[in-house]
Amino acid sequence: MTAKKRRKGKITGPALVLSGLALVLLVLVIVFFSGGGGEKVKHFVDANIPKSPETPGGRPATRTVTLFFAAEDDDLLHKETREVLAGPTEADEAERALAELVRGSESGLLSPLPPQTRVRQVFIAKDGLATVDLSRDVAEGFTYGSTSELAAVYAVVDTLVYNFKSVKKVVLTVEGAERETLGGHVDLTRAFFPDYGLVAK
Amino acid sequence: MKIFRIGAAALLLLAAVAAAQSPAERTVVIDPGHGGLETGAKGRFGNLEKDITLSISLKLKALIEKEMGFEVVLTRDRDLDVPMETRSAIANNHKAALFISIHANGAVQKKAAGSETFFLSLNATDEETRRLAYLENNSTELQSRIDPSTDNDLMMILWDMAQNAYIKQSSRLAELVQGELDAMLGTRNRGIKQAPFKVLTGVACPAILVEAAFISNPDEEQKLASDAFQTKVAEAIYRGLVRYLRTGE
Repeated sequence: MTAKKRRKGKITGPALVLSGLALVLLVLVIVFFSGGGGEKVKHFVDANIPKSPETPGGRPATRTVTLFFAAEDDDLLHKETREVLAGPTEADEAERALAELVRGSESGLLSPLPPQTRVRQVFIAKDGLATVDLSRDVAEGFTYGSTSELAAVYAVVDTLVYNFKSVKKVVLTVEGAERETLGGHVDLTRAFFPDYGLVAK
Repeated sequence: MKIFRIGAAALLLLAAVAAAQSPAERTVVIDPGHGGLETGAKGRFGNLEKDITLSISLKLKALIEKEMGFEVVLTRDRDLDVPMETRSAIANNHKAALFISIHANGAVQKKAAGSETFFLSLNATDEETRRLAYLENNSTELQSRIDPSTDNDLMMILWDMAQNAYIKQSSRLAELVQGELDAMLGTRNRGIKQAPFKVLTGVACPAILVEAAFISNPDEEQKLASDAFQTKVAEAIYRGLVRYLRTGE
């Protein structure tokens, strides 16, 4: 208010400084109120300014992960490699790898997971148990049969255990809670070891 | 401590197994997969897995009752939601001799086709596997040392692992049923497989899950919806059961 009044009159040196300060304050206030929940801000920071190591060229470091997709001609899982942003933790990389798995194949393979599935969180415990929390779309996006349900579960399990040294077995949860099955077949209440018997040679 | 409890639970289980094998009348429990809001897989022509599994199950029930004189209990005889643990509890409460879960398969590959029969995979830790192997070799000696007082936790572990004691019989049953499906259906034989299926984990008798054909494959969906094919599936499973019972359990 003060700044506005002074701006109408003669502009003096100190007034200019004051109005500048007031403007900064106003911007800060707007940012503070329009920023929304802390979560949103954190997510923004997380996605765009990774605290990952940088290559000498200034580009963020990536790592290669192997994803497991289905194919039209057999019921095996097929490998496809992809670059994901590296670090800072294996859990972060695991989330990115699974997000890529959901996004689908770049070489015409079939996606074993409903495309609208979101990877909510991956937590890796010290004993090697990774807990993967997925959005409800993973269960509601498909009407599963035994074969497609096994493919969905083991695509996730194999992708994690194959790529991440700290992961030995995997538990799947949906919307943060334990769930019996995705579609009435595969038991989700126990941890899975990988099954590379389902993977094409 | 947890290991001890699992061990104790497995001992109790062996006792339960021994008690359940009294010669009286014998019961087969048939489990029509899915039901109610839980439709299972869906075909392009709108057929639902839950309806096909119920039709085949009713045909199989009639066949067994007519030809074998066994009592047959269905986990559902209508379009009904039945929780997984209720399905295995029905088998255990009736002291079932055999448990057959009937399903129609679904895959993301439209071309996927054929029949297959599953039995439970031992998705157990090394420690649990070691315990079970020990119990299999020492069951008679250990049965006499079971404390009959059991708490609820222990019972939960007990039933959670129930099927583990029957893996060998379940494998043989799967093989015989799949052999008959292959002989009768004229579709691709996908063989016998192991998988961690929830409905099988708590069943305390030989148990299999039959995938008759793929509802996600338009050709097979039409077969599955036909009375003739459903009858063939029921007949094949029935023949497999007969061969299993005839060649000793």
